Amino acid sequence: MELEQIRAIIAMMKENDLSEFSMEQDGLKIRIKRGPEGLQQTVTLPPPVSTAPVSIPVVTGAPAIASSSATPAAGVEHITSPMVGTFYRAASPDAPPYVEVGQQVDPETVVCIIEAMKVMNEIKAEMTGVITEILAENAKPVEFGQKLFVVRVK
Amino acid sequence: MFDKILIANRGEIAVRIIRACKELGIRTLAVYSTTDADSLHVQLADEAICVGEAPSKESYLKIDRIISAAEVGDIEAIHPGYGFLSENAHFAEVCENCNIKFIGPSSAAIRAMGDKVAARESMRKAGVPVVPGSDGPVDDEQNALKTARRIGYPVIVKAAGGGGGRGMRVAHNDPSLVKGYHTARSEAERAFGNSVVYIEKYIENPRHIEFQILADRKGKTIHLGERDCSLQRRHQKLLEESPSPALTNDLRKKMGKTAVKAAEAVRYTNAGTVEFLLDAKGDFYFIEMNTRVQVEHPVTEEVTGIDIVKEQIRIAAGEELGYDQKDIQFQKAAIECRLNAEDPFNGFQPSPGRIEFLHVPGGHGVRVDTHVYAGYNIPPHYDSLIAKLICYGHDRRVALDRMARALDEFMIRGVKTTIPLHKLILKDPNFRRGRYSTSFVERLLAASQPLVPPSAEE
Repeated sequence: MELEQIRAIIAMMKENDLSEFSMEQDGLKIRIKRGPEGLQQTVTLPPPVSTAPVSIPVVTGAPAIASSSATPAAGVEHITSPMVGTFYRAASPDAPPYVEVGQQVDPETVVCIIEAMKVMNEIKAEMTGVITEILAENAKPVEFGQKLFVVRVK
Repeated sequence: MFDKILIANRGEIAVRIIRACKELGIRTLAVYSTTDADSLHVQLADEAICVGEAPSKESYLKIDRIISAAEVGDIEAIHPGYGFLSENAHFAEVCENCNIKFIGPSSAAIRAMGDKVAARESMRKAGVPVVPGSDGPVDDEQNALKTARRIGYPVIVKAAGGGGGRGMRVAHNDPSLVKGYHTARSEAERAFGNSVVYIEKYIENPRHIEFQILADRKGKTIHLGERDCSLQRRHQKLLEESPSPALTNDLRKKMGKTAVKAAEAVRYTNAGTVEFLLDAKGDFYFIEMNTRVQVEHPVTEEVTGIDIVKEQIRIAAGEELGYDQKDIQFQKAAIECRLNAEDPFNGFQPSPGRIEFLHVPGGHGVRVDTHVYAGYNIPPHYDSLIAKLICYGHDRRVALDRMARALDEFMIRGVKTTIPLHKLILKDPNFRRGRYSTSFVERLLAASQPLVPPSAEE
């Protein structure tokens, strides 16, 4: 997101007397809040494991709170990583992925492998529903709490 | 030199380590718990990985997740800071086995000094004076009584797996010894999973004098002078200073040599601190060695001009110390006040919460090491240290005046802090004269009960 875009959003908020704006797109989350103390803004990139820089708070006062994840819409849950490691979609490079978008899962369904310290850990869905999105990238590192799959639950 | 370091810690020390890395051109990877996502160390590091939920044992103490983070982050070395895993010999061993450099001493040295009973024994063998006490662990009540009568009351029962002032009971006579012996054992079992205890003579109103050690991997061991840490409340340090008003140059040389001997006896490498008790007669005794960088390291940095954290990294990377004992100069006097988010008017109850307003002091001879900022939410899950205020100058008088001035300038709103207590200490005529021991703070608090709350303008 460019600084110009942020400025445009702020101008639009002022024009229309909006107090809060938030947006999530391509791994970027932004939340801008207008309050009586003046404008506070935060731009936060999700804590990266690659070399992308972590956010520097762009603020007139104190660094404001980083935007928390938006509350999921009703009926939508996330399968999150219970550990730090490397995410794999399948048991081995030539095996088919454990799950695909549109696939039904139940609590015991293995959805992926997270490899930590040479140990391959099978991760179970622990919920019933349908996979609607795969958020983690194959063979890429994941951290604790990172969202791996979006699931539309019953 | 390392390319990238993982900081296995949080708060002000994580910020301190990141600063040293940045100045050395080393990239940094921070680990953090879910509640620390907005923490300063996460924001300053080049990369960050979440390792678990807020409670320490779910995150900062999770060895497997930290090692995983090191592996995915392509890490060559881990700096453990202080607390958490810094004196965990098993963690140091895991690092060694995973080919990750642990920035600190070897796991063997950590073990040698971590078992307080074994440490006493090693020190005795090396000719380092130790507090008169039991020959090893005290296994039952009868032996406790025998030992106490041999040494002479008062005595203190200490946990072998403890340290840092925890798991201790003082006894002045047989009945209180029996009670204290059993209480100490069950407390130790609960706190450290190890109920082994030993007994030492209890030295009344001692001064707590510790010596900073630096040792490279080629075997050169030197000391960087002492810190007087006698100002404590419930065995937790509040204020530290160097030089100690109680040491003559001769005593400093003698104690310094002894500290080096202690470190060499366990083949110590990297930074560490040897702790002594100094009694009123001028006799000193080894009590323990801290095998890590300490909270109060900035005091020594300002007195000697040496960057201890950078030296830790350099030593771990295999560099030799570029100077000898004779090159160490004690150029300044320095004092550090530990500022905690606690309410000194309410039994020092922790005061977590959001910092609404913050203004830190500045100017000549003032250093503030902190991880907090205005708008930051102090979480309740970790220790209450929020800032270290270090003032230094040409001599102790200048440092004292500077500290009093800086404390007056320090403004925090939104949480309670121990600043009022430090102001009281700085005003005390005995403290100003350098006349104090480990009982000073408790006596000051008792005499000033209740502490006068600040006026509405403060």
